[in-house]
Amino acid sequence: MAEQFIGKLSEFKDGDRQILRIGEEEIGVFRHEGEFYAYSNFCLHQGGPACEGLTIANVEERLRPDKTSMGLHFTNDMNFVCPWHGYEYDMKTGCHVKDKRVKLRKYDVVTKGNDVYVVA
Amino acid sequence: MSSPDSAKAGKVGTVAAKAPVAKVSRGFDKVASDAGMSRSDKVNFIKAMLEGVKPRDTAQAASGKQAGGAVKSASEANAAKRAKPAAGKPKKVVLLRKIPAPVRIVAPSNPASDEARKLAAMVEAKLVAGDLGVLTPEAIQALMQALCKLYSANIDAGNKFPVVDHRMAITGTDAMILCGALLKAVDLQVFELGMWQSWSGV
Repeated sequence: MAEQFIGKLSEFKDGDRQILRIGEEEIGVFRHEGEFYAYSNFCLHQGGPACEGLTIANVEERLRPDKTSMGLHFTNDMNFVCPWHGYEYDMKTGCHVKDKRVKLRKYDVVTKGNDVYVVA
Repeated sequence: MSSPDSAKAGKVGTVAAKAPVAKVSRGFDKVASDAGMSRSDKVNFIKAMLEGVKPRDTAQAASGKQAGGAVKSASEANAAKRAKPAAGKPKKVVLLRKIPAPVRIVAPSNPASDEARKLAAMVEAKLVAGDLGVLTPEAIQALMQALCKLYSANIDAGNKFPVVDHRMAITGTDAMILCGALLKAVDLQVFELGMWQSWSGV
């Protein structure tokens, strides 16, 4: 595993994504709330482009003490969704939102000055 | 329901069919030897014709088994391949696709818009606290009617902009409840909405 230069920090605005081929691997690099996250772009469901779909926050239903609904709300946890069949992964961990055993391969992202590297 | 005669005929037919099969087999041997194929190549070719070509990982696992090593599953073989160290070796990096963050509309404000934003923020805060009575039904109807007409008039005038400022402003459920209620209020069906969208291009 080596650090592979992927671009300048200034090229990644918050919310931007890049899909890269590094050697034999296809990797999606996200910048979300100032942090970088990189995952295999190979969906564990049927091999779709996991990192190229919608990014959307987790939805939760809030309940009153008597268990009646206060409606559906978005939380602060961001997910990304495979565009083929809607497999949804946690942006920070790469885990499937409902089955934590299902996890995308994660790559470390290192910034050195204005340079960004993926360890792959 | 076969008669003894037809059974006999079938038996005769089977016996008679043996000769051409053997002939075809000999013919294949000749073609194969002309093409320089060994007997094992022939066997593999026929297996591939009957069973289909196996996925690469399965084939690798199978070849590991044939080589006398420990039997590995396809996923283990794949994991071993991935774990192969490429220590310190720079790899070719190719940018396949750039997906920019969604752009938000920023327009100069005016006093009415400031008031509207304050009202919206107050309603959202009350909703989070679980206060559904922050506006009376009459007030909601008045606002809904005015906003519906204002948005529609803007679209008609060519001032196209998304009805919500980002994907997570409202949930899909919120959108479906409101759309359904608006259609019901004017006695329209989803079919008619679809026809209008198709013809109008809006």
